Amino acid sequence: MLAPKRVKHRKLHKGRMRGAAHRGSKVSFGEYGLQALEPTWITSRQIESARVAITRHIKRGGKVWIRIFPDKPITQKPAETRMGKGKGNPESWVAVVRPGRIMFELEGVPEDIAQRAMELGAAKLPIKCRFVVRERQL
Amino acid sequence: MSNDTTLNAQKRDDKGKGAARKLRQQGRVPAVLYGRELDSVHLSVDAHEVEHLFHSISVDNTIVKLAVDGDSEPYETLVREIQTHPWRASLLHIDFLRIQKGVAVDVDVPLRLLGVPLGVKSEGGVLEQVIHDIPVRCIPSKIPAAIEVDVSELNLNEALHVSDIALEEGVEIRIAEERTICSVAIPKIIEEEVEEEELAEGELPEGEEGLEEAAAASEEGGSSEAGEGDRDQD
Repeated sequence: MLAPKRVKHRKLHKGRMRGAAHRGSKVSFGEYGLQALEPTWITSRQIESARVAITRHIKRGGKVWIRIFPDKPITQKPAETRMGKGKGNPESWVAVVRPGRIMFELEGVPEDIAQRAMELGAAKLPIKCRFVVRERQL
Repeated sequence: MSNDTTLNAQKRDDKGKGAARKLRQQGRVPAVLYGRELDSVHLSVDAHEVEHLFHSISVDNTIVKLAVDGDSEPYETLVREIQTHPWRASLLHIDFLRIQKGVAVDVDVPLRLLGVPLGVKSEGGVLEQVIHDIPVRCIPSKIPAAIEVDVSELNLNEALHVSDIALEEGVEIRIAEERTICSVAIPKIIEEEVEEEELAEGELPEGEEGLEEAAAASEEGGSSEAGEGDRDQD
């Protein structure tokens, strides 16, 4: 699963996900993309799960790009622990995704296969997504 | 040269985001026209008309004739920049660059790969296109509609470079010649399978270790957490 090798600060504030993704909102590497339509945190497990679903469907051929990286640590307190005593331990990593963000890109497969692969990948993610084609974007 | 097209535009006096938002609510798109020996002119175009036009042409390298209200002759322009909404199919702003006959302009021309490479047909490779648009400099009458490259002779692990593109005289490529256009690579399917198998084998022991660690941690109880808390406070 994706995770940073090292970080400057182990724990981060929760933050807010306001607005849209003004960067990374165009298909830049491949021919097809999967675009987020809602704001969310995508965990490294979800990214890996979507990637596996996409690569299994395209079987031979094709290249996949992952355009998001889970660089935000999420902390969690252990079960049955009283409140206080400081912030919990880092347990997982998430990518902050805003609407418009292209999360995955594909190249080297026909459009129908790419669309189905992206649908299968999108089913592993907690948000509504859209299949986009480079040629049709302005 | 690509098809010429005409677009109607109106001059606008109001500037800023408030005025631009009002324009968009009225079904128009704010735009600007600039170029050599021309002060920039603030315009607006009909959103439906411009979307219809942009979906029927190659936007980067098509000459658009911009008929501005109050001006006698239409301006010959290139669409220099389009700002779009991040996920909705709506235009936010358009930049038009006025061009002059005989004066060279920089444009991005789409690159089309023709044929199926031998490495893909017979050896199961994957064609990877690295560059999708080629920046060129030429006079407006010589702007190519598209640059076509035949890739049918490419074998596995072979690549085409910018230097392999043949263009007509007067069209200058504005990108390094050694840059790769496309290549036929070995698919990563074998690596994927190995990774997945390794993961499948590795999951259980890791999980057990994880459980043991969790059990050990729970035996130690809150003392260690209290210690951590103290450290945090320090």
